[in-house]
Amino acid sequence: MSTQQDQIRKSTMNAISMKSRTKGKLSKGKILAYIILIIFTIIYAGPILMLVNTSLKTMPEFMKNAVGIAKSMNFQNFTEAWKKANFPRYMTNTILYTFFATALFVISAVFIAFPVARKYVKCSGAILTIFIVALFLPPALIPQFQLMLNLNLYNNPVGYVMLFLSNPVGIVILVNYIKTVPKEMDEVASIDGCSYLRFVLTIVTPLIQPAIATVAVLHAIGIWNELILPTIYLTSEKYYPITRGMIVFQGVYGSNWPTLAAAVMIMTLPMLVLFLLLQRYIVSGLTQGAVKG
Amino acid sequence: MNYLFGRGKGKLVPYLLLFPGLLIYFLIALGPSLATGVYSFTDATGIKGAPINWIGFDNYKEFLVMGQASRDNYAALGRTLLFCFFVTTIQFALGLLIAVLLNSKIRGKNFFRTLYFMPVILGAVIQGMIWSLFLYPMGGPVAKIMELIGIHSEFLGGKPSEAFAWVIVVQIWANMGTTMVIFIAGLQTVPGELYEAACVDGATAWQTFRNVTWPLLTPSVNTNLLLNIIGSLQAWQLFLVLLGYRNGTQVLGYLIYATGFGQTSGSVTSSFRQGYAAAASMILFLIVLVLGMATQFILQRRERRILG
Repeated sequence: MSTQQDQIRKSTMNAISMKSRTKGKLSKGKILAYIILIIFTIIYAGPILMLVNTSLKTMPEFMKNAVGIAKSMNFQNFTEAWKKANFPRYMTNTILYTFFATALFVISAVFIAFPVARKYVKCSGAILTIFIVALFLPPALIPQFQLMLNLNLYNNPVGYVMLFLSNPVGIVILVNYIKTVPKEMDEVASIDGCSYLRFVLTIVTPLIQPAIATVAVLHAIGIWNELILPTIYLTSEKYYPITRGMIVFQGVYGSNWPTLAAAVMIMTLPMLVLFLLLQRYIVSGLTQGAVKG
Repeated sequence: MNYLFGRGKGKLVPYLLLFPGLLIYFLIALGPSLATGVYSFTDATGIKGAPINWIGFDNYKEFLVMGQASRDNYAALGRTLLFCFFVTTIQFALGLLIAVLLNSKIRGKNFFRTLYFMPVILGAVIQGMIWSLFLYPMGGPVAKIMELIGIHSEFLGGKPSEAFAWVIVVQIWANMGTTMVIFIAGLQTVPGELYEAACVDGATAWQTFRNVTWPLLTPSVNTNLLLNIIGSLQAWQLFLVLLGYRNGTQVLGYLIYATGFGQTSGSVTSSFRQGYAAAASMILFLIVLVLGMATQFILQRRERRILG
């Protein structure tokens, strides 16, 4: 009986695949699909190609023909942008802020998410709810500013990093992932006399590494791209991250597009590399966060 | 579950390790978030040490019913809703279209998906700068194309309504990837057998979409609609990068920022009206809440009707 069914199934499957194979080459629908995708490719790649092209031009070349292909291969724009935009300083600041805030957040988040997921602390459910509730509350911007001002953490790199030590979506992602780790691990480890701290750091952390990567990458991208908070909280130029520096640079070199484009390229490249390497984590984090949020 | 890693005082270890993170969260996120309502009834300025007085509903009255300022506020509110409407509908439709196309048998799927998703991670500054260049009015690519069909545009420097429309375009360009990715994730949960069955029954592509894909996509439809509505009501960073604080273009989010922290940067030397800004952000928050909950209500009713 079951073999008969299998046979029928197989033959229908064959029929379907034959159908789609013969259809595949000529189908109007497919041609239309490719046309739409190519139009979107132009809309998405166009602005970026324009940026790359402009960054390689000289200013007179750009003025003469803004869309012409760069002939001069003027890499000087990059060295100029790097020096004039004070990039080494801004880039260092951004890297430091991103690194410290992400590292501190992820560590604290694991120590929150693990006991909550395992119900090792009282009111675990309530703690999780407190994090989810934050997604439905008014923006914290103004009282947060008043607080930082009164704590003397205004225009202070430490205070600035502090602003990024919370991320409710990250906690929710970690809790959900930890729930998939078998509880027998805890039993075995505790029988072997492993301490709580050691268990979390040396056993749980490696096991939930994909979720940690997702949370860390999403959090880091948010800090790297943040524009509003540095504008509000950091007034000394020496503390500027690259986003704020870029806006200042645009104010000064607004009409010199080749140099400006080179500066934007320098700022974009690290993100692009990170994105291509870690795309999987970013996408899974966004879809998970979205569905849970 | 019982705690396994110790007894007596040993049981306190997880609490001790959890505490710093929770404290920081209360201090910088939850507390301030709740305090926004309190600040909205004061005349807080953002100057250190300046007295903060309780002024009741004055901020709300001023925002909603007083002269030119409130007319400007209503204009900004109108633009916020307009922005939300166009961004949500267009981004939703395009994201769905692209996701369905990329879910079919097509070459180069990964390339297309990666490319369309990329702007999401670039952030408002890069997104804005890239488009300021792309929309270069003196012979830039878009200007050239529009010249071909006989349209001259000043783009971001043009009339407020024109500049506003371009911000909508950039906003959609920047965020369509998220909508697409969520739809793709949803499409992958639709069982392949259903498509086979539809194919055997001789359903057209449209019929398959209408009767198989669309109903089963309901969870991603809900997620995307809510995310798009809430996100676009609160979005304003691209306005800052692309246009600056320009009359006739500001949305509510930008207005709040500008009254609370000054138009371009937050310097503590001038007096900013943070109490008033807090009231304005409470109003925006209530709009987001009401629209979000109404959407949620409608979507849940629809979901019950479709999925039972």
